[in-house]
Amino acid sequence: MGEFREPLNVIVTGVGGQGNVLASQVLAAAAVEAGYRVSIGETFGASQRGGSVMSHVRISREKTYGPLIPKGHAHLIVGFEPLETLRILMDYGSPGTSVVMNNRPNYPIGCLLGEEKYPEPASIVEAINKLIKENYVLSATELAKEAGNPMSTNMVLTGALSGSGLLPFDTGFFTGVIENLFAGEIRELNIRAFQKGVEAVRELAMKK
Amino acid sequence: MNSAVKGPEDLKKEVLDRNLCSSCGLCVGMCPYIKTVRDRAVMIHPCGLKEGNCYRVCPRTGVDARVMDNAVFGSERSDQALGFNRGVYFARALSPEKARAGQYGGVVTALTAFALEQGIISGAVMAGGSPSSPEPFLAKNEAGVTSCAGSKYTAVPTLTSLNRAARDGMENLGVVGRPCQVTAVRKGQQIGRENPGSLTFAGSAGLVIGLFCFWSLNPDFYGFLREKSGGSAIQRVDIPIEGLTLTTAGGTATWPVDEIRPYIREACQSCIDCTSEWADLSVGSTEYDPAWNTLVVRSGAGQSLVNDAVEKGIIEIKSYPEERLPILRKAVLNKKMRVLEGSGGPGAGYITVGDYAGEVKKQWEVLQ
Amino acid sequence: MSIFAVALDQPGRSVVMTGNEAVARGAIEAGVGYAACYPGSPTSEVLPTLAQLGDRFNIYAEFSSNEKVAIEGVAAASFAGVRSMTICKVDGFNVALDFATAVCYSGTRAGMVIMVGDDPSAHSSVKEEDCRFLARTANLPVLEPASVSEAKDVTRFAFELSEKIMLPVVVRCTTRICHASGNVTLGDLPTLEKKAAINRDQKFVTNVMFAPFMKSKLKNVAAMADTSTFNVYTGPENAQRVVIACGVSHTYAAEAVEMLGLGQSVGLVKITNTWPLPENFLLKYLKQAKEVVFAEEVDSFLEDGVMTLAAKHWEEVGQIRFYGKNSGDMGGPRGSYAGELDPDIVAGCLGKIFSAAYSAPGFTNVREARELVSSMPGRELALCAGCPHRASFWAIKTAVELDGRDAIVLGDIGCYTLGLMRTGYNLLQSVHCMGAGVGMASGLGKLDRFGFRQPVISVVGDSTFFHSVPPALINARYNQSNLLCVILDNETTAMTGHQPHPGRGVTATGKFSEKVEIENVLGGLGIPFTVHDPYDVEGSINVVYSLLQESGPRALILRRACALVAVKGHKKDRVYVDQEKCAGDECGCARFCSRVFACPANIWDSQSRKARIDEAVCNGCGVCASLCPRNAIVVERTV
Repeated sequence: MGEFREPLNVIVTGVGGQGNVLASQVLAAAAVEAGYRVSIGETFGASQRGGSVMSHVRISREKTYGPLIPKGHAHLIVGFEPLETLRILMDYGSPGTSVVMNNRPNYPIGCLLGEEKYPEPASIVEAINKLIKENYVLSATELAKEAGNPMSTNMVLTGALSGSGLLPFDTGFFTGVIENLFAGEIRELNIRAFQKGVEAVRELAMKK
Repeated sequence: MNSAVKGPEDLKKEVLDRNLCSSCGLCVGMCPYIKTVRDRAVMIHPCGLKEGNCYRVCPRTGVDARVMDNAVFGSERSDQALGFNRGVYFARALSPEKARAGQYGGVVTALTAFALEQGIISGAVMAGGSPSSPEPFLAKNEAGVTSCAGSKYTAVPTLTSLNRAARDGMENLGVVGRPCQVTAVRKGQQIGRENPGSLTFAGSAGLVIGLFCFWSLNPDFYGFLREKSGGSAIQRVDIPIEGLTLTTAGGTATWPVDEIRPYIREACQSCIDCTSEWADLSVGSTEYDPAWNTLVVRSGAGQSLVNDAVEKGIIEIKSYPEERLPILRKAVLNKKMRVLEGSGGPGAGYITVGDYAGEVKKQWEVLQ
Repeated sequence: MSIFAVALDQPGRSVVMTGNEAVARGAIEAGVGYAACYPGSPTSEVLPTLAQLGDRFNIYAEFSSNEKVAIEGVAAASFAGVRSMTICKVDGFNVALDFATAVCYSGTRAGMVIMVGDDPSAHSSVKEEDCRFLARTANLPVLEPASVSEAKDVTRFAFELSEKIMLPVVVRCTTRICHASGNVTLGDLPTLEKKAAINRDQKFVTNVMFAPFMKSKLKNVAAMADTSTFNVYTGPENAQRVVIACGVSHTYAAEAVEMLGLGQSVGLVKITNTWPLPENFLLKYLKQAKEVVFAEEVDSFLEDGVMTLAAKHWEEVGQIRFYGKNSGDMGGPRGSYAGELDPDIVAGCLGKIFSAAYSAPGFTNVREARELVSSMPGRELALCAGCPHRASFWAIKTAVELDGRDAIVLGDIGCYTLGLMRTGYNLLQSVHCMGAGVGMASGLGKLDRFGFRQPVISVVGDSTFFHSVPPALINARYNQSNLLCVILDNETTAMTGHQPHPGRGVTATGKFSEKVEIENVLGGLGIPFTVHDPYDVEGSINVVYSLLQESGPRALILRRACALVAVKGHKKDRVYVDQEKCAGDECGCARFCSRVFACPANIWDSQSRKARIDEAVCNGCGVCASLCPRNAIVVERTV
């Protein structure tokens, strides 16, 4: 179980359309079930159209904080996309920050246009590992495909976060929330994806 | 070929911006950046490449006549007026409906339909529609060919249909086109031989039937036709040497050729191939007897087709009247000289190599 | 999850919801009966929440065709004795302003709340604007919640206040409240019956003679504000350094003061009544302060008000040094008048003002990573994979090039605004506000007497069309202007979250309704029109080209459902690049699909050096396949 900081600051980051909003809502709901107060800061809207997005989730025992995490104060970063993960880590992280991330790039239009080059994902992971000690890198999109749909990448990463031991509450709160939130096939898909994330991150933890 | 490192920017500079585009249509479809509108090609977006087949296939960027003669016929021309040929004839379709539908002798319609029916070609790329709103057409059967019968006097980008059909995987397509279109197809086929991986759809062309052409008209001519037809459906447009003959449901009327001159395309003033010198066979009017066409047989494939068609009673041929040949040759050489001696405007003399101009002049002088 | 929380009948329970949901809950607790809005970020989610709960709580909730109509309907409900609310973004409040500035004279009856969402940093807008100046012009009080929790309480209170003074009350929120989530303590749900009636002798008239009465209402509000528990001071007694903040900036300021360790010397004032100000409450702290710092978004509204107050009471207040937007001391990297605040910016500014050092935790060895990041591309906005606008823009662009007369293409507000950028081939040349493109086009179309020969195209969406386009088209017809109005009908209000509109045949509650057909509107206005499917790019090019050759006002509807809506709940058609047929860089197309057409699903595989489709992103529209010169892109249609 993760050590609790007051407040515990988690940033979920990715590219518009990847489902980070849902992931942050599930995280917040699980925290609430576990008895915490939460505050979430989101950016919606135009960000769906390919822009960078992040959700700031602040988990507290005592009070409700403002929606934005100050720079350098993020304890956990969940990255749906390597480029965004490094960007956010540099601005909001510190050497004690832990990261759970997807290794699959999402190409900005500048890269598609051939004007800019997207660096090798391996070099991004390397750069991240130079800054912090604890980094769980998953092929979350592949795991999501295995679960049945690449769109469930967000649930894989949510599972990985919850199974990483970095949070002060366990996976049971998450599965309860997912079961209540969804129904039918979607629920089954999301539970599968979530479990894959939990298993994958536990495997990684054992190797360390 | 002297166009090794040229591409779209050069095409734009040397041809498109100088209003020399002949609207052949072959440059359209090899990439998404070139389209035709009215009677010219337009680059709708810069592709940024330095080299391109668009430049290489364009009939206005230079042809080495000797190389081309050898590539297509295996031999060089001796006749600078008519180009390489195995014989010149009068010809006409024997089917009365084809003769009726077609222009003059209906030979193009008859031979194309025959080639399609015989499986010599898988389809025919032609100018369809009506003279007042023509468009490129892919004929897949006899009815389709007949629907294209009748001359179109405007610059239809017929080869866009060749490219579209080739993109869809069709091969061995017949092409009926103006001299510029024939030249473009031959340039394309040349590229295909030199560099098999290079995309030009010209490789999908089989039999090429060329038309005689001294000029084509710009799209404003459609407005002229609309005005002169007074709204009645146009049945036939005919522009012999004297002028325009227009047949509508209301009857037939004629106008002198001077009324048509304002619509002659500027780009055509600098063209020196009047008889489709690199087609398998070329067809034109006789300017003499409206029941017949002039037929120039050039390649072996053209010869086979004509022989077959005669044998099977599709067309009949007879020798070209001897006294008329110099008249035809003089008309063609006159145009070539106009272009080569300078009054043809920009782009004149794009057919090069050796002393092409000198050879033409020699033969022209003989006829003066 | 959240809708369940919003409807919960458990007073006292703490649940998590978004700011927008909190406003909806506050309205429900206040007994709102009528709600109307035109979608506008960041407030778009309020009305659908009320609509979903409409049957449960007896609320009529509608999407109106525009904000003016919305506010008028809402006022009418108030006149009839039903508590009512309209919701809009500040740009929408501009549209409603004509009515707002009039209704303050006639007054209202049942509580009426105008919830306005400002968008600092314009996350989902084309500009930043501060609605509070407009509210003041409209003589309407402004309440600003400072947190998600307050959003509920303030909204609920706003209805009471409005009913007391018989004026609408503006509840001003910003993006970081609307789209944030936090714990909210539920209050009790309403029990009173909602009844609508108007007597024949009641009058609702705008007349200048009502001005003094109206102004006296505002004085009343100021007096009530003085004793309101919403305006709060925290910090040491007699603090000489005071920060006055409102809205979410207050939370930033509180956190900043803590990070700087200034809690013992700096007082913090939270103002919820940003207009009219609680003057006596403020004067208490102004008298003791020597330095006052203001933290607010977007403009210096609170700052100007307090400085004016201090100037009026200069004798009691003495010398004060003010720091804020006016002095340039409070603002982010883009200066005082642009961009939102955040805890880091506020901490940085306070640190400078109060000479308190603050160093944020972070990395010391970050140079290498920064180099890697600076070599990394930024993310531009891009139309979604499969978006019909991409196909429409490519077709219009091509037709414009073929036409060759430098046609002008004007834009408007919606997803298609992205046509200004690379993702839309830089096609559009303008964007202003809803419907502006057509009005401008109508003007350009009359400049022929000054030698203007360029064809004019105006691009609008379907929802934009219903919002404000007919008056411009009527004008074009009436004054015989040459313009081509292209309506990109993707059958939804996409940018704000796929809300329905009058052309959809379904209301906010999901019930069936009569469609208002765009064709019928155009036909009724006498504007000739054509309809085409933008996915047929070749055909669309020909249609646009032909229309460019015509004159007079004419319209083209390019109709195809938004890709996100079309694929929702359906299996997507598989699209892939035949690696044999694709010739890569040998093709001569210069990587058209990934580099020029640039749908996010068209990617370049640097290993195989060929084009590829990113199946996680592709929505199966097949338009790229129709444009590939080698026919190398394959679409496997499932139906």
